[in-house]
Amino acid sequence: MRTEALTVRFGGLSALNSVNFEVQRGEIRAIIGPNGAGKSTFFNCLTGVIGPTSGRILFNGQNIAGLPPNRISQKGIARSYQITNILPNATTLENVRIAAQSRRHAWSMLTHHADFHDIIDKAQAVLESVGLGEKADELAANLSHGEQRNLEIGIALATEPKLLCLDEPTAGMSASETHDTMQLVRRIATDLTILIVEHDMQVVMELAQRITVLHYGEILAEGTPAEIQKNPRVQEVYLKT
Amino acid sequence: MSPSSKRHATIYWTGFGIIIALLIVAPLVLPEFWRRFLTEILIWGLLAMSSDILIGYTGMVSFGHSAFFGLGLYGAAAALLMVKPPNLWLAILYGLALSAGAALFVAYFATRLRDIYFAISTLIFSQIFYVAIFTLTEITGGENGLNFSRPQLGIPGVYTIPFTSESLHWFVLAVVTASYLILRRITQSPFGMVLQSIRENEARTRAIGYPVARYKIVAVMLSGLFAGLAGVLYAFQNRFAAPDFVLFLISGEVVIFNVLGGIGTLVGPILGAAFFLTMREFLSRLFPYLASYLNIPHLAEFPYLIPLGVVFILMVIFLPQGLLGFARRWLNR
Repeated sequence: MRTEALTVRFGGLSALNSVNFEVQRGEIRAIIGPNGAGKSTFFNCLTGVIGPTSGRILFNGQNIAGLPPNRISQKGIARSYQITNILPNATTLENVRIAAQSRRHAWSMLTHHADFHDIIDKAQAVLESVGLGEKADELAANLSHGEQRNLEIGIALATEPKLLCLDEPTAGMSASETHDTMQLVRRIATDLTILIVEHDMQVVMELAQRITVLHYGEILAEGTPAEIQKNPRVQEVYLKT
Repeated sequence: MSPSSKRHATIYWTGFGIIIALLIVAPLVLPEFWRRFLTEILIWGLLAMSSDILIGYTGMVSFGHSAFFGLGLYGAAAALLMVKPPNLWLAILYGLALSAGAALFVAYFATRLRDIYFAISTLIFSQIFYVAIFTLTEITGGENGLNFSRPQLGIPGVYTIPFTSESLHWFVLAVVTASYLILRRITQSPFGMVLQSIRENEARTRAIGYPVARYKIVAVMLSGLFAGLAGVLYAFQNRFAAPDFVLFLISGEVVIFNVLGGIGTLVGPILGAAFFLTMREFLSRLFPYLASYLNIPHLAEFPYLIPLGVVFILMVIFLPQGLLGFARRWLNR
């Protein structure tokens, strides 16, 4: 995935200013930066929630800038949300099943959904992988905060993405939940590319292979965790404050 | 199948069988007026059920269902008037074609809007159809409506029998039951699951890869098609089409049937229609009866719709989920 001169303006404000960003297949890349640096805008742009003012987003060689969210999802980019965004009145399994079903049988009208065993098996497997296998029949609204966060990731995974954007996956989690989620991210990272926006520096430094620092809509620095920690400009604008 | 879902299926289909059996026997024991009344409940129930696809399952409130119903009615009327002898299947075909056309038109424009804006736009579209039917006097008969005769049941040229009020009831029952089974299956299909996901969280549904707008268009068309089918049945029942059946008051009643019976249950709206229409019939007779019983002549003219409104308000306050709302999850399994 690569962006070329990606720019987003809201009125006179540049939320993203000519961002050239590239991530390799299979990488775990963290995006950090102070509040308002453009991290969420960047994710919204990648996933089609907002269209860029100018610039291109190349995914597997195709320009996907400006496509609607459903088309981008079908191309293989999934995301989890900063604010938990699930179907609260459906069970955990149903949440993941509906996501898995978006890849096959989506328009099937005359067969009971329970008869598509491939989808249910897939959903069950995803639930196991995010540690919610036991909670399949629980209403999503009744899950703990940490479990809901992991369900978020499960929903994204069920769409079989090639690139997964995680927006603060450990926000509001206890230390042990954070640890479990990091394990989870490492596990799933074996066969997909992961972009992660996170404020918890410990998580970022441990998980990411490389880090991109955004500041006022521009890339301030990019490098390995060790390089970023030593970078004086990053320390100035972000790490020390 | 797990034991619990097996038990669920047994209870569900037993209940289903008992209700259908009662509805089959009913015209044999009911007097003519109530026989017709029951048939009409089934027809209004089908209309309400069709709108439940939008209100209950997709989360879009339509105030335009009178248009689909009315066009089904006028479509059937057109076939019954133009083709001699009147043909049952052609009437169904004409009615469905006309209502599907209207549904496509409304769906294409209205689904771009959401929530109250969607509701208002369906209302406006239905009023456009109302005005068109009201003013195109040469085609539609305008305010006077159209009178036509009932077709015969069967395959023309092979075997036909004239409809009696019993056989018409059974025919309507068969169509409504089949519609229920089809709609139930659709709501349980992957497609139906997407509609419910749109109801719960539209943005998320789009984000996991569904073209939400297209699903909404198909939902409105499906709903309009079954509403049109109700209109066709009403043509057979009443042999009369009038602009009043396209007026938004019908759409309002349809929403009331849904709310009273329980949205998102399919059978709820039928029960809601039965409850509302029976209540109205009962109250309209209650006051003349009380007037003669208590010897207060003025009481006979008491506007019975007022207590009906009170009943409606009380039910919305104390039973906001509707009569069958408590069984929603169970019925949709």
